[in-house]
Amino acid sequence: MTAPTTAADPIDAYPSYLDCLADADEYAAIDVALGLLDAGVPAERLLLDLVAPAQAEVGERWARNEWSVAQEHAATHISERVVAAVAVHANPRPTGGRVVVACMDGEWHALPPRLVAEVLRLRGWQVTFLGASVPAAHLVSYLHRNDAHAVALACALPMRLPHAHRMIEACRRSDVPVVVGGRGFGVDGRWARRLGAAWAPDAPSAAELIADERTLRRVPPAQLSHLADDEYASLVRRRAELIDSALADLREHVPAARSYTAAQLDSTVSDLGHILDFLAAALYVDDVSLFSEFVAWLVGILTSRGVPAAAVDLSLAHYSAALRDFPRAVHTLALGRAALAAAGAPTAR
Amino acid sequence: MTAADVRDWDPGDGRISTPSTTRAAAWSADALSQPAALPPLAPDRGLAAPDYWAEVVEHFREGLVVCDADGVVRHVSPVAERLLPEVVPGELLAAAGVPGLSDGRPGGFAHRGHRLTARQVPLSGGRCCWYVEDVTESVSRADALLAERARSAFLAVVGDKLGNPLHPDRAAAAAVRLAVPTLAEVAVLVLAPRLGRARWWRASRADDEAPLVDSGVLAGGDLPAAIAEGLTGVEPHAVDWLVEQAIDAGWLPGLTGTESTARVVPLPGRDAPVGVLLVARRATRWYDEDDVELIRAFAARAGAALTTALLYRDQAEVADTLQASLLPVEPAETPGVQWGTAYRPAQAGLRIGGDFYGSHQLPDGGSVFFLGDVSGKGVEAAVFTGQLRQCLQALHRVESHPGRLLRLLNDSLLETTMAHGQGRFATMVLGVARPHRDGGLTLTMAGGGHLPPLVLRASGEVESVPLRGMLIGVVPDPRVGEVTVRLAPGETCLLYSDGVTEARGGRRGDEQFGPERLFNAVTGCERMPAPALAERVEQVTCDWLAHGDHDDIAVLALRAVGPSGRPSRHLHAVPAPAGTDQRKETPA
Repeated sequence: MTAPTTAADPIDAYPSYLDCLADADEYAAIDVALGLLDAGVPAERLLLDLVAPAQAEVGERWARNEWSVAQEHAATHISERVVAAVAVHANPRPTGGRVVVACMDGEWHALPPRLVAEVLRLRGWQVTFLGASVPAAHLVSYLHRNDAHAVALACALPMRLPHAHRMIEACRRSDVPVVVGGRGFGVDGRWARRLGAAWAPDAPSAAELIADERTLRRVPPAQLSHLADDEYASLVRRRAELIDSALADLREHVPAARSYTAAQLDSTVSDLGHILDFLAAALYVDDVSLFSEFVAWLVGILTSRGVPAAAVDLSLAHYSAALRDFPRAVHTLALGRAALAAAGAPTAR
Repeated sequence: MTAADVRDWDPGDGRISTPSTTRAAAWSADALSQPAALPPLAPDRGLAAPDYWAEVVEHFREGLVVCDADGVVRHVSPVAERLLPEVVPGELLAAAGVPGLSDGRPGGFAHRGHRLTARQVPLSGGRCCWYVEDVTESVSRADALLAERARSAFLAVVGDKLGNPLHPDRAAAAAVRLAVPTLAEVAVLVLAPRLGRARWWRASRADDEAPLVDSGVLAGGDLPAAIAEGLTGVEPHAVDWLVEQAIDAGWLPGLTGTESTARVVPLPGRDAPVGVLLVARRATRWYDEDDVELIRAFAARAGAALTTALLYRDQAEVADTLQASLLPVEPAETPGVQWGTAYRPAQAGLRIGGDFYGSHQLPDGGSVFFLGDVSGKGVEAAVFTGQLRQCLQALHRVESHPGRLLRLLNDSLLETTMAHGQGRFATMVLGVARPHRDGGLTLTMAGGGHLPPLVLRASGEVESVPLRGMLIGVVPDPRVGEVTVRLAPGETCLLYSDGVTEARGGRRGDEQFGPERLFNAVTGCERMPAPALAERVEQVTCDWLAHGDHDDIAVLALRAVGPSGRPSRHLHAVPAPAGTDQRKETPA
């Protein structure tokens, strides 16, 4: 339990708020937030300068293996309760049209778009937040039933970009402008431009973009002519077969892999699948840096959990051999292995 | 392109109209941009012109005007005389004032209602010859072809944009936006009045920018006469006062009555027009017959899109109302219990399915809770869950003992299904939670053939609750399993449907998620708030599915939090879990 702070600045309150999250103390966290509101801190600042950075820190702590998944989930839940409390506290009368905010299909990081939704609401839009992992069919059927001025879609993981693109297109076909955000589109939004979608780096920019309908509609078309080489589609088709052969390869070269428990096997299969999904996404937007960044991130995650990253190189080498007829994939994997070496992981072959 | 490139070049229309081998497309300005590069024909090949030469010249399609070195006209062929009557032999060509012949540039020009092309070829001795051709017919044919092509391209874009089912408001906004600037500078679409009110959308051109769209409402009686007439399906023809009416209605900013032209066309609907479209622009571009045809073709597409959209909206309103009544109701806030729920129907476009959960408060401070799954999928299954929930809502008032309540429900369902002659049944867990002073909960649960609940102990242990029983709604006196579980403060009980454990995914998408993985997924989650735990189960299951098809997924978690966990002012400061409101709109 943490004593509620009386600090009147979100930056000063940050450490104690983070302690509340660490203790999974929902009520103390809400105390901190409401205390700041009572002290006159604007709701938008509270969300962007307290809740958002704390949530980023939660993710970092999970990545460094300091927090378990359970702790991360609990902290996120508490942040959501805080956002709800702030929303009740600051409830402006809507003056603008309806904006629909949703996570891409398969995307569970709902707090960042939730913050965007609240900032939009504080700025007078009528916001509908559809929540985490919204199937495209559901979003489209919502847009059929309710007129919307714009749709804001969030994507935290680049491996969802092909799905994201389908969802963006679905909104376009409903003639609703789309703005996208989240790390999944690259730190500078370059993959959003590749998919022909308007991109906002943060909640205030998203709000400004949504208020400017002309800019929102004036988006250059997607540049995806490289998909004609069929590498992406073939990779998706061969996904299961590639994971099987990579697993067999791993068992052959890493003796420990032969005695994995069922849970270890599941997470290995899931990692092998993620490598392919990120590779597929890199091929989809034709950007090798997407994959290199993923490899560097994966090494960080694995190393912090005591998993030797050498096995990753083994799998990259295996995929490279299996996909030798796909020049873009081979090139991407080669740069991925280089990123792996640069991240300090020993190489396998 | 040099002159040499155009030698022997036949435009393909089969008409070779000059005696020389040089020929250019009549309306191609750059084909002969360098006439000086043409070497003059040999001035004299030692042959005198034959007698019939004048006759041959007369039958050229091109007229000839020969000038001497001083620019004085020396010869005018009969064709040239007809085309250029002001050109007179013996006078300066420049004095005739024919625009295309003065600047020495080749190309087309309009003259006395004809389209002419002229090219100048240098002759020996400083003389030159103008070849003048009347291309009125071919140019107008080409213009008509280009215009037709532009119209087809425009209608293709319109079909593409309006071809998808849209929300009616968006369809109307899209239609006016598309009409500008091709059809109009200002386009107004008025929907047929509904309940005495007519909504309109207007797009007006703003320089080179995308058109601005605004909208408004008029009382049905205030519609301009031409619009009201259009709504009856008649295309008004009195075009003059049409503009005045539109201006009176305040629809034509920046256009005045005297210098504007407007048309109104009905947008065809199912029986009567779904609305009318008013297009207006400056009178410098009058609406001719082709324009009106195009507007009608556009109106047909816009009308179809609007009709579909309105039809869809009406049906969606009905479906929405019915679906809302079949959605699981989130458990009400209960002292001592923290609820967590997750619900994901099999069909993403549908928000309802065959899984259900809920809770009812008992007068003694306890609460009935349940989670289950009915046979079948989709709408029919959802309707059955509705019947089942209504039964429970009524029955829990007369019986609060879980085992007896489940048997009562069984009898009631049997009666219903026998009456309808259909074999519907359900599996479910039904329990009663009673809070204790120490913040713990006693759960008395009865099982009707459903998957065993899990309990997350404070110690980190995960227990499977041994709860058996038979399907509900199949036989008259089913065996019902009963069990009592004690939750210490901070401990959680988790109920889930088989959509979780039977989710098919993994490497090949055919492996079941299974109870083992669920067990592993919740291990270590004993400190998680109930909503976070429910979402975690949903997330892990969906990650396993990886976009594959799935059965309905439902999760209900109860956590013992104690009534006095925190000062109460915060409890009412935060009335409902964040997700609750949205969840109702979200099938997700």
